[in-house]
Amino acid sequence: MSTSVKRVYGYLAEFESASALYKGAEKVRDAGFKKWDCYSSYPIHGMDDAMGMRRSILPYFVFFGGSTGLLTGFSLAYITQVVIYPTVVQAKPANIFTTSAFFPIMFELTILFSGFTVLFCLLGLMGLPRLNHPLFASRQFHRTTDDGFFIAVEARDPNFSPEDTKALLEEAGGTNIELVEEED
Amino acid sequence: MAHHVTSKDLPLHGEKVKSSDLALPKLISLIVFAIGAVISIILFSLDSTSDGYSYSWLFAFMFFISITLGGCFWVTLHNVTNSGWGVSVRRLMENLGFVFPFMAVIAIPLMVPSVQNDLYEWMQHHRDVNHEYVDENGEVHYSDRENAKAAAKEAAGVEYHKDYLQIQTLDEAGVAKADHGAYSSPYKGAFKSDHKSLLYYKAWYMNLPFWLARVIGFFVLLGLGIWIQRKLSTDQDTDPKPTCERLIKTRQLSCLIMPIFAVVATFIALDFMMALDYKWFSTMYGVYFFAGCAINSMAVLILTLTWLRSKGYLKIVTSKEHYHIMGKLLHAFVIFWAYVSFSQFMLIWYANITEETTYFILRNTDEWWYGSISLTFLHFALPFALLLPHYVKKTVIFIVPICVYMLIMHAVDLYIAVIPERGVSLTHGKELFVSHPAYLGDIVAFITVGAFFVYVFLRNIGNTNTYPNRDPRLLESANLHN
Repeated sequence: MSTSVKRVYGYLAEFESASALYKGAEKVRDAGFKKWDCYSSYPIHGMDDAMGMRRSILPYFVFFGGSTGLLTGFSLAYITQVVIYPTVVQAKPANIFTTSAFFPIMFELTILFSGFTVLFCLLGLMGLPRLNHPLFASRQFHRTTDDGFFIAVEARDPNFSPEDTKALLEEAGGTNIELVEEED
Repeated sequence: MAHHVTSKDLPLHGEKVKSSDLALPKLISLIVFAIGAVISIILFSLDSTSDGYSYSWLFAFMFFISITLGGCFWVTLHNVTNSGWGVSVRRLMENLGFVFPFMAVIAIPLMVPSVQNDLYEWMQHHRDVNHEYVDENGEVHYSDRENAKAAAKEAAGVEYHKDYLQIQTLDEAGVAKADHGAYSSPYKGAFKSDHKSLLYYKAWYMNLPFWLARVIGFFVLLGLGIWIQRKLSTDQDTDPKPTCERLIKTRQLSCLIMPIFAVVATFIALDFMMALDYKWFSTMYGVYFFAGCAINSMAVLILTLTWLRSKGYLKIVTSKEHYHIMGKLLHAFVIFWAYVSFSQFMLIWYANITEETTYFILRNTDEWWYGSISLTFLHFALPFALLLPHYVKKTVIFIVPICVYMLIMHAVDLYIAVIPERGVSLTHGKELFVSHPAYLGDIVAFITVGAFFVYVFLRNIGNTNTYPNRDPRLLESANLHN
């Protein structure tokens, strides 16, 4: 007989509509929880406020990614076409004042590097890609891609307690409250 | 999100700016305009300043008409895209756009032949060929072919008599050819043999009657366009049974007005600014001017919104979110301006065709070079970086200085588009600048036209409610969240 250690992931509560989810989220937010999330099959306007989420730090990464692209584009063009091998076309000079000619490549590399930064930093911040998620153990959770609205409060949160959190979710309007366990 | 705005929070009959709040600024702007107009008349009539002041006036005219054109653009765009976010600031846009038809008053000096001859070489050439000349009193005379030379001698005091004589002799060659039986247009004789073939080939478009017809057409067509959109919107304010009828009608009409706006904005740039050098070609010029219109007017809209909010108006229906969206649009058009103006520069720069490069060669010579190069950094790079963070767009103390800054930078942009032509045109290419301090005239013209603009804008604001209080989507806009 095999024994497997199971660890509590948290509570999963179902809500009957988007507005019920919104109001429930406000209650969970006000109870001071940090490690929790809402699940819905479509974006709900104003949900970030209802969840009390802070703004993402992604824009700062993108700014530096884009700046790196700008400098890369400038260096690539300037070093090769002005410093190492001055490229004279139609008797136009090759010097710092002809940087205008490099603007397209500087622009393109800014966009490219910004795009890469967005993609990879976004995946990194979301913790993706991952092979599995503990909530997949729940039998009702698949409905989140169809007509289900859920809130999951993680046991990692310092405010978590088996009784109080369940009571909170019930009070917030959650039904079918389920303790989700993940296999370790 | 703060308190959710409902119709109970709003006054039943909307909100109007108290005349006591507007009286003083209106009076000041009117007095400034009156004084400026008197000085302008003197400057236009003095021989030593009239030629240079024509350029000052054109610069001021272009700057302020670009703001009003932008107002027309935002109203029409708002209606054509059926937008809900800006209903509470739409009246500001309408009032700004409705200054456009009044700008025809400022265009009047540009209809005077002597002013036109100072500004537009092509008009001067056309007048010469038509045996039309302007004497020192600014009056227009016509002379027939026999008397042409005598008339030219008579007009010896006229600045451009040299060109006049030259064209006359060449014109006679054209006449001699016509004696052999075939009709020869006077333009063909004069322009083709005088290395002015561009003027000959462009004569179907660049001729005096068509130019005048176009200018009248601009003001009538787009003037009607903005008038009807504003009228439908203000009528809604007092309708006891406001329905969606006007909303739908405005939306349908705006689809028609949008192409009219595009044509009018483009050809105002072409006929007033690009025509300063008739030899120049650029297909980007209209879009380039339009990008500036959008920047200018959005900056003015944000400043006006802030001013009205500081007086206690529009407080309930607008919020930080409106600032955020308007700041984003300002940012977008800063980028668009850079994209378009750089495209224009780069295509001309690498194609390296004589007719095209003249524009940038002039603007990259000596003192003008500093202006042109500073546009890259100060009109694009700096505001682009400053407007990136969201809180800059949302916070009044950040966005207001940036709007003022953008207006200044865009004045520099238009200054560099118009004024460099002054020195080379008036000295026939010998000098970069005219001898007298013409920049003082630039300041006078700017203040005069600016005061007129402010007066009409304030008058428009005072005549209507501050927001369309019976628009069905007002609450959607008041509770904007983005």
